[in-house]
Amino acid sequence: MSEIKQPKIKPGVCIPWEEKLKELPEIPGDKELVKKVWQDIDSLAYVYIWHCLLSF
Amino acid sequence: MAHDMEQLYAERLKRYVTAMCNEKPDKIPIRPFVAEFTAKYAGFTCQEVTHDFDKAFVAARKCAADFDWDAVVGNMVYVWTGLTQAIGTKYYAVPGVDISADIGFQYLEPPEDQAFMKLDEYDQLIEDPTGFLFNVWLPRISNDVRAMDEATSYRNNLSFLKGGMAMLNYFNAFGTQNALLRSESGTVSAIAGIFKAPFDIIADKLRGYVGLSMDLFERPDKVMAACEALMPHLLHVALSGADPDKNVPIGFWMHRGCVPFISHEQFNKFYWPTLKPIIEEIWSRGHQVLFYAEGNWDEHLGSFAELPEGSIVFHVDRGDIFRVHKEIGHKFCISGGISNFLLSYGTEDEVRDHCKKVIDGVAGDGGYIMDASAIMQNDTKTENLKAMTDFTREYGVY
Repeated sequence: MSEIKQPKIKPGVCIPWEEKLKELPEIPGDKELVKKVWQDIDSLAYVYIWHCLLSF
Repeated sequence: MAHDMEQLYAERLKRYVTAMCNEKPDKIPIRPFVAEFTAKYAGFTCQEVTHDFDKAFVAARKCAADFDWDAVVGNMVYVWTGLTQAIGTKYYAVPGVDISADIGFQYLEPPEDQAFMKLDEYDQLIEDPTGFLFNVWLPRISNDVRAMDEATSYRNNLSFLKGGMAMLNYFNAFGTQNALLRSESGTVSAIAGIFKAPFDIIADKLRGYVGLSMDLFERPDKVMAACEALMPHLLHVALSGADPDKNVPIGFWMHRGCVPFISHEQFNKFYWPTLKPIIEEIWSRGHQVLFYAEGNWDEHLGSFAELPEGSIVFHVDRGDIFRVHKEIGHKFCISGGISNFLLSYGTEDEVRDHCKKVIDGVAGDGGYIMDASAIMQNDTKTENLKAMTDFTREYGVY
């Protein structure tokens, strides 16, 4: 049997937060908030392409 | 919601879930996968229910209200071609546009030399499946999306905007649809989420059946690595759409992984080792998977029997339902097995006789859900589906 291996870019992610963070200036406010919102919206793009493949 | 409708919903949910746990409910649950039949019954064309999902939802609810069914899919004409047209998708023949308004949508597989993934692109897919889909696959399957080395365009930009917003609208609408099914007719939404096997994805949408068949001989290591690269993503998609209450299963649409599309050896080497761990992982998180075994998967029942007890519901299309019951019925609930040919071209008596034979053969100890063999399109006779429903209600009482 094959193992379910974690890929370099995790499922649910298109542009990892770590990659986006490099583009941003030092965040003076709530960094976790920015991270969460980035990841939430990024995951919608992931949903889009994988459902194009699976569902449509 | 009316109290009696909520009570009916609760009864149906209990009946459906009990059967799926391979136990004996009060009656045999009825869970027909009705697609274009709903259009015919509700007075719509195939074009209307395929291209306008509001009409598809209305048709599904009308059927649910008029027939005594325990569970249905909110829209079994699942491919909304309004969305695929907005994206620019090439591979559908759309009712009323490319084909007659009274024919269900068709999937058009490209010729081998125009496969959506080329032979030398396995490594790109393996390295970053999501990036490959966005950057290589999507521009090939869309008339509007431009490839990475092409200038962008107005149509390119609109494809993403319209496609993204339309998809969100569509998915969100299922929440309301499922609530209306519950409140209007006490009907359970039959499945939640979608899953396909890694091997089937490569055959269906990437290399095509012919291309993959050749690759199994010429590039077996690449095929295996590609299947493995898809595994975590397909698991993620399946879980992200699963029922949070863990009542209804994830739908698994099985396509080209069985004999004679591929050999036993190929099934054992490629298909099964990259499928089984996903099903086990899904089950470990508390979700069942509905194996919608399109075609005949009888040759692989021994493999399916390896799965944990209760982890799947096995739907029988062209297989021998009595053999399925004998080989895996002790571990899993079974559904289907009522001939679509009979439902379309037979008589009501023939349908009742066939239902009796199936019920007598496989449903004695519970663990059976009444349904046609395959998704019912607009050739299904209304009186025959009513005969299937009414007979099961009368005869299928424990």
